[in-house]
Amino acid sequence: MRVLLVDDEEELVATLAERLDMRGITTTWVTDYRAALAAVEQEEFDIALLDVRLPEMNGLDLKRLIADRRPKMKFIFLTGHGSEEDFKACSAETGREYYLIKPVQIEVLMAKLNEIAQS
Amino acid sequence: MNDQHDDADTLGLHFFGSMTASISHELKNALAIINENGGLLGDLAMLMEKGRPLEPERLKTLSGNIRRQVQRADDIIRRLNRFAHSAQEPAATSDVREIFEFTIALAARLATMKGVTMTIAPGPPVQFETRLFQLENLLWLCLKHLFVLTEGNQTVEFAVADAGAEVLIGLRFGEGLPVEEIGARVMREGQSLLTVFQAELQVDASLLQLKIPKKRSF
Repeated sequence: MRVLLVDDEEELVATLAERLDMRGITTTWVTDYRAALAAVEQEEFDIALLDVRLPEMNGLDLKRLIADRRPKMKFIFLTGHGSEEDFKACSAETGREYYLIKPVQIEVLMAKLNEIAQS
Repeated sequence: MNDQHDDADTLGLHFFGSMTASISHELKNALAIINENGGLLGDLAMLMEKGRPLEPERLKTLSGNIRRQVQRADDIIRRLNRFAHSAQEPAATSDVREIFEFTIALAARLATMKGVTMTIAPGPPVQFETRLFQLENLLWLCLKHLFVLTEGNQTVEFAVADAGAEVLIGLRFGEGLPVEEIGARVMREGQSLLTVFQAELQVDASLLQLKIPKKRSF
């Protein structure tokens, strides 16, 4: 499984990538939307894990741009907010409840990734 | 006047809500990084049990990462605490430059999100009697409308000058921003606050200027 991780907190996304790599997931991590778009142009991913509140472009808008380029890719949103509004917006974008609130337990994230990969 | 104070209180609640939501987001990020670093320590310990060597330098780095994020979370909570207390404080003589610094710290994450750089023009301290929370709120309103109208990669410089009976607070924006529109929006939304301060809002090219009389009733 190839996963693109996008979060402006570099230390978070780099550490998370290392932990996923240890669990057999191939990851690429970036910290802004431009690098995310460049990554999907260059590589194929199965799933993108997107922070909802990214600088300059939010995760929901970034998801749409990525989906235009890679229609088969699937998405999980990650957010520091636990608001009903975010939950609805993310659920509307993914069509499912692929929405995780920081801090995320790795077992929960792995379960979501496997669930999406098999769907 | 009481109506204006009620409206200003309502604006203050919105301001308080926006700031605490932003601060809680920042705090969640610090916790998330601590969580991942702690988790990685556990992962490495498990691998070590299975015979993979673990470099002491790696442990030191992870421990340093956790300490740094704990410090960051502590700074965020201190800022939240100071902000919460500013809402309770009565009018007092304050240094406007310090209020700029605090407002910039409060809005820093949102500014980063919008690609806005905030600075303070050099100059001597300017003190006047004000309610901290209400001045923070007025400055925030200017920033809020900047954040709504900017397309990113923008600057704003805060400046203050003592003009005898008045304090002049200026926000100078970078090129390409609809400063007239920012001013109009601040005027519309912040009318009650401007009335409370008996302040005049002027727009001059890239400058948004607040003229606040030093002597006024609270």
